[in-house]
Amino acid sequence: MSVNRWVAAVLVPFLAAGCGSERVTDPGPGGGDPGGGEPIALPVLGHGPVAERYTAEVAVRDGWAYTTTWGRRAEVGNAVKIWDVSGDTPVLVDSLIIDGATTTGDVQISDDGSLLVVATELTPGSLVVFDRSDPARPRQLSRFQAASTRNGVHTVKLGRVNGRLYAFLAVNPSPAQLVVVDLTEPSAPEQVLVRPMGNPFVHDVFVRDGLLFTALWHDGLTIWGIGPPYGGSPADPVLLGNVKTVGGSAHNVWWFHDGASRRYAFVGEEKPLTLGQSSAGDIHVVDITNLTAPVEVAFFRLESAGTHNFVMDEPSGVLYAAYYNGGVVALDVRGNLSSCKAEERAIDGRCDLARMGRQIGRGLHDIGRPVYVWGVQLAGDDLYASDMLSGLFKLDVSALRR
Amino acid sequence: MRRCSNAIRVVALAGAGLLAGHVAAAAQPAGGDGGPEKPRLWGAQAVVVMTHTAPAIAGETLTETVLTQPVLSAALRAWGGRLELRGMANLEGLTLEGGELNPGAWGEGFVDRRHPHTLLHEVVGTVQLERGPAAASLTVGKGFAPYGTDDPMARPFVKFPVNHHLAQIPERALVIGAVRYGPAALEAGLFNGDEPEGPYDMPALSRLGDSWAARATVWPGAGVELSASHAWLNSPEHVGGAGLDRRLWSAAVRWARGAGPRRLYALAEWARGDELHLGERRFGFESVLVEGSVAVNGLTAALRLERTTRPEEERLADPFRTPRPHADFNILGQTRWTIATLRLEAGPGQVAGLRALPFVEAAYLRPTQAARPSLFVPGEFYGAERLWSVAAGVRLDAGSGHGRMGRYGAALPPAAPAPGHGGH
Repeated sequence: MSVNRWVAAVLVPFLAAGCGSERVTDPGPGGGDPGGGEPIALPVLGHGPVAERYTAEVAVRDGWAYTTTWGRRAEVGNAVKIWDVSGDTPVLVDSLIIDGATTTGDVQISDDGSLLVVATELTPGSLVVFDRSDPARPRQLSRFQAASTRNGVHTVKLGRVNGRLYAFLAVNPSPAQLVVVDLTEPSAPEQVLVRPMGNPFVHDVFVRDGLLFTALWHDGLTIWGIGPPYGGSPADPVLLGNVKTVGGSAHNVWWFHDGASRRYAFVGEEKPLTLGQSSAGDIHVVDITNLTAPVEVAFFRLESAGTHNFVMDEPSGVLYAAYYNGGVVALDVRGNLSSCKAEERAIDGRCDLARMGRQIGRGLHDIGRPVYVWGVQLAGDDLYASDMLSGLFKLDVSALRR
Repeated sequence: MRRCSNAIRVVALAGAGLLAGHVAAAAQPAGGDGGPEKPRLWGAQAVVVMTHTAPAIAGETLTETVLTQPVLSAALRAWGGRLELRGMANLEGLTLEGGELNPGAWGEGFVDRRHPHTLLHEVVGTVQLERGPAAASLTVGKGFAPYGTDDPMARPFVKFPVNHHLAQIPERALVIGAVRYGPAALEAGLFNGDEPEGPYDMPALSRLGDSWAARATVWPGAGVELSASHAWLNSPEHVGGAGLDRRLWSAAVRWARGAGPRRLYALAEWARGDELHLGERRFGFESVLVEGSVAVNGLTAALRLERTTRPEEERLADPFRTPRPHADFNILGQTRWTIATLRLEAGPGQVAGLRALPFVEAAYLRPTQAARPSLFVPGEFYGAERLWSVAAGVRLDAGSGHGRMGRYGAALPPAAPAPGHGGH
């Protein structure tokens, strides 16, 4: 065999494999519309720009919004922006700068509105607690840092159990662990639990009415009792059930109270993504009628984009989901989500909410510039959406109120 | 204090290197690996290098001097070369605790600085049998998986290319079988997928055999070597095994001629790495690299051209570090690095009984956004669209060169002439 033939025999298959394979390119605007009725457009009321940092989560209450910041841009993500959102256009009034943080990934307001808590990353992670007596100028009360939070607090959720306020911290990376901190005395947070969980991450939790839901990535969704009537406590959660959602990457969860019905939990899936450019991952609907044997019954998929954090308008039965490069999606989740026609089912038997025409609203996907929506929060007829690339949007969702 | 400590380490290691060099030099002539007839081989090497990069980050220039690639190597051969034990200790954990300024480099928790390699860089035992044009070997130990091209440390340049983690798989616990017939060889190996998490890290025992690689090589003659390889790495960046998997492809043409004062060398390689989540491709990175060198009468000139995409990850408070393991599986973007590097080397001279090769390398680097829009914008991060990096120093070595790094037993070229310094 000649030299040339040796060269061809060895190199051609490899070069062909390379030339034929998929390339990472500009995806264009995310999202495709599902079947069924046309979703209504959610009008933008106003926009508060943030240019020097990437924006992360948003929390809203009583005309004030707080947005966190992420990673490095011109400035590092050590800030929490304070917005006056009483008008249509969010107005930036001040910022909190948190020493040592490179990301302030999550922010929550307590149920009584008195506290603002911020999770910080990367190492050393912490939970910073602020007094909200003056919502325009939160005052730091304490900063919880312990060996358990050293690797970074990725998310925080607040929940009240037996009258005591707790912060549930998802700490990553290895070892991934849930850390529970008693904030009943907010100036002196007290750690009551450190429990390794998650494969490989415990990413987020949801706390309500004695139940703790943990999104454990490849280990799916786990339900724990932390109070009456389920037993357990924040210091000693009792395992009730688990479901491995399709595709894994269980990222966040919301337990839907639809009047007396408390049948469904919604789980966000986050596939590996290029921040600012692309995303993928479905919303999974889990029937938790039997807490010890939850089962996934339905899902929603938006082509070319993946879901991130949720908020719900429970009285209206509407779930709003941040969809990164796909903007914001509104789903009608009232009624029986596990019952659908044959043509509305996926091959594995789950109902496909898109085919069922459950998508009823869409926003920020067609505003003429790229967005990358991290979080959404609801206040009355207004939906607030934090865009990593540009800041804070305020949208009108009055058309979906019912 | 830390700078002082590092200076002491550098001096101490330089002294150790000199001592090792004297011992090695007394044991054998310099250059080459001595051929299969030598039962014991020793070698030592270190490179003192000053690097100036403008800008290195946020518009600021950085200049540093480090002792890089300090290694001690040894080989024992028995049964007429049919059994070989080969080892290399890499002391970069002591001298490069914070990495080496190397714009574009990435991996193992470092970015724009090359990570230190592990102390036990390579220790393998190879049994090889030959009959006529056929040969077969079995290699067991910690070393290079049968994938890609030679380790950059055994090539002309001190600064590593961007594609190191796309084009080589070093420091794995492995078992490799290789067969050669005439001018063609096939290798296949099993190894642990997890990459080191620090200079004193060892492969995770629970991960042994969870990854594999295979390489085909042809030597058609005239010093030409053609190779193509494929590898599957299970969760290289998460030691627990729950991270993204990596699928690698490589094709390369290598050419080397001459020995002693007149040597020619060239390499052209293409490499691709896909990262997969539950079998679904999520990210892809690609590299094309061409390099060559000409050595004539004590002066060596080398040129390297590279175009490689790399992932951008969230950085720690130290902007040259990234979290390991990750807090999630996302990336901030991809940067395409286009780099031209020119190197001039003189010598060898003699310093305290050691071979000394002074050199200078100058690199022009152009990082551009390969995925738009994304959160990492090179021009904003570095404070410039184009970067310059100049490295100057001296390579000191003694004893045998470490030869080519990345092949064992029957996968080495048939009747290979003893390689010159560094194997290139």
